[in-house]
Amino acid sequence: MGSGRRRAPPDDDVGHIPERHTTMDFTLTDEQELLLSSLDELLERECPESYIAELDLHHESATSFRKALHEAGFMSLGFPEEYGGTPCDAVTLVLLAERVCRQGLNNGFGLELLQAMDILEFGSEAQKQEILGLLANGRVPFALGFTEPGAGSDNSAMTTSAVHHDGLVTFNGTKTLITAALQSKYLLVMAKNPDTEDPRKAISMYLVPMDAPGVTTNRLEKILWYTQDSCEIFLDDVTLPEEDCLVGVKGNGFKQLMRNFEMERLVIAATCLGQAQCAFDDAAAYAAQRVQFGQPIGNFQLTQLKLTDMAIKLENMRNFVYKTAWMLDRGLPLKSQGALCKRYCAMSGFEVADDALQIFGGVGVTVGARISRLWRDLRGHRFGGGTDEIMVHIAGRQIVKDHS
Amino acid sequence: MKIVVAYKWAPNPQDLEVRADGTVDASRGKPAVSEYDPVAFELARRLADETGGEVVGLTVGAAAIDTPLARKAALSRGLDRLVLVADDALVGADSTRLAAVLAAAVRAIGDVDLVLAGDSSVDVAEGQVPLTTAAELGWLGLGRVTAVSPATDGLVVERDTPAGVAVLTVRTPVVLAATADAVVPRVAGMKDILAAAKKPVEVLALAALDVPAPAVTLATLGTAKPSGGDRQAVLFDGADPAAAASQLVGALRSAGVL
Amino acid sequence: MNASNASQSWVVVADDPAVTGLVEVARAVADEVVAVVVGTRAVADTVAAAVDRVVWLGEPATAPVEAFAPQVAQLVADAAPSAVIGATTPAGRALLGAVAARTQAPVLGGVRTVQVADGRVVVTHAVMGGIAERTVAVEGGPAVLAVDAGAVPAGGAATPVAEVAGAPLDAATVTQVRPKERAGVDLGAAPVVVGVGRGLKAEADLGLIRGLAAAVHGEVACSRPLAEGVDWLPKESYIGISGQHVAPDLYVAVAISGQLQHMVGVRDAKVIVAVNNDKNAPVFGQCDFGIVGDLYQVVPALTAALGGSHD
Repeated sequence: MGSGRRRAPPDDDVGHIPERHTTMDFTLTDEQELLLSSLDELLERECPESYIAELDLHHESATSFRKALHEAGFMSLGFPEEYGGTPCDAVTLVLLAERVCRQGLNNGFGLELLQAMDILEFGSEAQKQEILGLLANGRVPFALGFTEPGAGSDNSAMTTSAVHHDGLVTFNGTKTLITAALQSKYLLVMAKNPDTEDPRKAISMYLVPMDAPGVTTNRLEKILWYTQDSCEIFLDDVTLPEEDCLVGVKGNGFKQLMRNFEMERLVIAATCLGQAQCAFDDAAAYAAQRVQFGQPIGNFQLTQLKLTDMAIKLENMRNFVYKTAWMLDRGLPLKSQGALCKRYCAMSGFEVADDALQIFGGVGVTVGARISRLWRDLRGHRFGGGTDEIMVHIAGRQIVKDHS
Repeated sequence: MKIVVAYKWAPNPQDLEVRADGTVDASRGKPAVSEYDPVAFELARRLADETGGEVVGLTVGAAAIDTPLARKAALSRGLDRLVLVADDALVGADSTRLAAVLAAAVRAIGDVDLVLAGDSSVDVAEGQVPLTTAAELGWLGLGRVTAVSPATDGLVVERDTPAGVAVLTVRTPVVLAATADAVVPRVAGMKDILAAAKKPVEVLALAALDVPAPAVTLATLGTAKPSGGDRQAVLFDGADPAAAASQLVGALRSAGVL
Repeated sequence: MNASNASQSWVVVADDPAVTGLVEVARAVADEVVAVVVGTRAVADTVAAAVDRVVWLGEPATAPVEAFAPQVAQLVADAAPSAVIGATTPAGRALLGAVAARTQAPVLGGVRTVQVADGRVVVTHAVMGGIAERTVAVEGGPAVLAVDAGAVPAGGAATPVAEVAGAPLDAATVTQVRPKERAGVDLGAAPVVVGVGRGLKAEADLGLIRGLAAAVHGEVACSRPLAEGVDWLPKESYIGISGQHVAPDLYVAVAISGQLQHMVGVRDAKVIVAVNNDKNAPVFGQCDFGIVGDLYQVVPALTAALGGSHD
């Protein structure tokens, strides 16, 4: 492999750098600008801080805002056109997710889109129509039922069984820490065929109605993500016709799940970016006007140090998210890029919120202060959607593999 | 029904800087569809959908109003197509001149049944242009419109008057200027934004339009920052509300207004 | 077109007898003031007390005022006055617009001063929504001015009213007028006005503002979002660039940021007081006195200090 430096092609004339040398364009397209300003209008009307604070206080879901998003067409971004969607690139999607979350709403946009896309990709016609109808009403179409008491990061250790017999499927098992199941009509269950040895081929994907006989739930109270409920779900001989509940191909559960996982990591990263930006803006504004010892605390170096390092992290997060989205759009292989991005954004996002909380001091931990909610909600992303440590597991192996 | 939405593409004067000599520096302002115009777009779209009609956007101004972003921003608001007159001869044009050009463009578009506009622009905010445009066209022009619906031979229009809400049957063609709260305009939808680039745009040359020459001209004798702005701004700290209140009341009594 | 009749100015009246503001400007420009009146006989008679001659276009019946605009414009053009003055109301501007189109003259609004110098009408007026002022001399035709209508003139020696057959555009018929649900308030006449803006969190909190207004014997007004956005107050209460312009002795701006779109409506107030919790709000650069603090504490404190109580 040659080690000499490649010579740059000669310039066409002295003093003029041809376009091919200036390919990094950080400007938004006109469409992105218009989408963002339309989203801004929608956020101002349908999702002000008072709305989010109320939801958080009462542990309710942002149904009316999601409905407004749907009416403005934002909920069908990236869907195939035959389902009323408009093709959309990853960069635009993360821009929108970032903006909604910058309003201060956790998991504000994107995840339910991607989940729906799983069904649109693999589901039957009946399943597709059902999911689209739910999205149109502002509802979360289904909750992801993967995690079990014995299977978190190690999800192939799951034991929930799906036994196929006479055109029916019977489920038995327990899922836990399932997000938004209590507000969803369906649960997207990952369950194993007990007769298949290889876990990679044993797991299939199923759409199970939350009100099916044999499904019971137990609400889990958390200290964060109040706008999404959490619960345990007990499946006790839940029996459904196979053609209704099986999604895609039996045994392909894992493969189907992996379809959009890079995009999901990216949306989570964008969520962290948006909320961290919100926390930073709140803290910087506070520092500029909170007077102690006769001057704004923003004049003190220790405050400025925090703010500076927070700004650096936000810039890094932003570049990371946009570059990763750009790679997805270009069809470039991500390898561990998604894992690196998710790890960095979740960890740095929380650090930014933590420093922001410190800047606020006592006032910040009062229930009415937005920063207290942002701090709690950002903490969850360090394990939600893949833990910080699993991201190391993914990326670390890849790095060593690449260098051997 | 052929409906023209006459709108303005201009920056918010809040974002502009006024130099000490009173001249305005427009370089920092970011132009956008004027704040109160979306109402007209919404009414036009609803009316066109009801009657199977067409919505044509129309705006006039300096050459700089014609950019890809400006075109898409308008086309993403429910227009079927867009017509522009962008000519630097219109820099600093007054309301009568703008109205004359708008009217000429409406004539050039041809067979227009209704011109809808907002009730005032974000930068000049006088509500004059739509009404002068009606006069230039020789049509009736009505302001403070709060509702418009199709009728057998024209429209039924509701508008705000000091006496109450007046209901009128109106024959087309007509110019209607709608109040900012006549309807809640939808936000520009994602599909419309992404489809905007493909919609037809026609640029009309100012020189080719039949626009009457201005008869009355204004000779500028001077410009200045607005007068009456030297207020002394004595501020009290509201951290102790009772003390601040008492100080303020004292000051107002001394000033003789209480 | 006739040579400009320098000693005559015309006032166009759109069915509203409040004309003192129009006449004041008309008199600053010319010796003789003629009013062309669209509206009822009663309006024509009331206006007659303030001007030298009235041309009345007859009872409008079911034709809207605007339908008479072309006829008004023709009459004005034929007379070729040195100035034409109308109200800044939509109906007034419809008449002025027709005059402007007929004479190809600009309509000048935001008028601060009007005078005659060297045979030309010289106008100082606000431009660009009020952020700057310009002084211009009008050449080549009448000065067409949109000004605040003013008040209803007091009765006086009745000038004869000449009726001309009305020739409105046959384009519209008023079929019904639904009276307003909420009683309007004459903010223009109030010596004290308390304005409230977006910083007010809930409609129920208006009670605090009303309490303050009562304690200071004033009327309640608001910035545009509260009248046209959330609809907490009637449209007549909205003070701003396209709403009311008031000049009370005292204007108290509560939870108003001070954007020019609102402040142009109160710039002629004698004393302006601002209450806002943002010390950087623009309103603090446009007031005589201010309190930087939370309105929910400051307003009750003010009300109490004034000897009132809030509901």
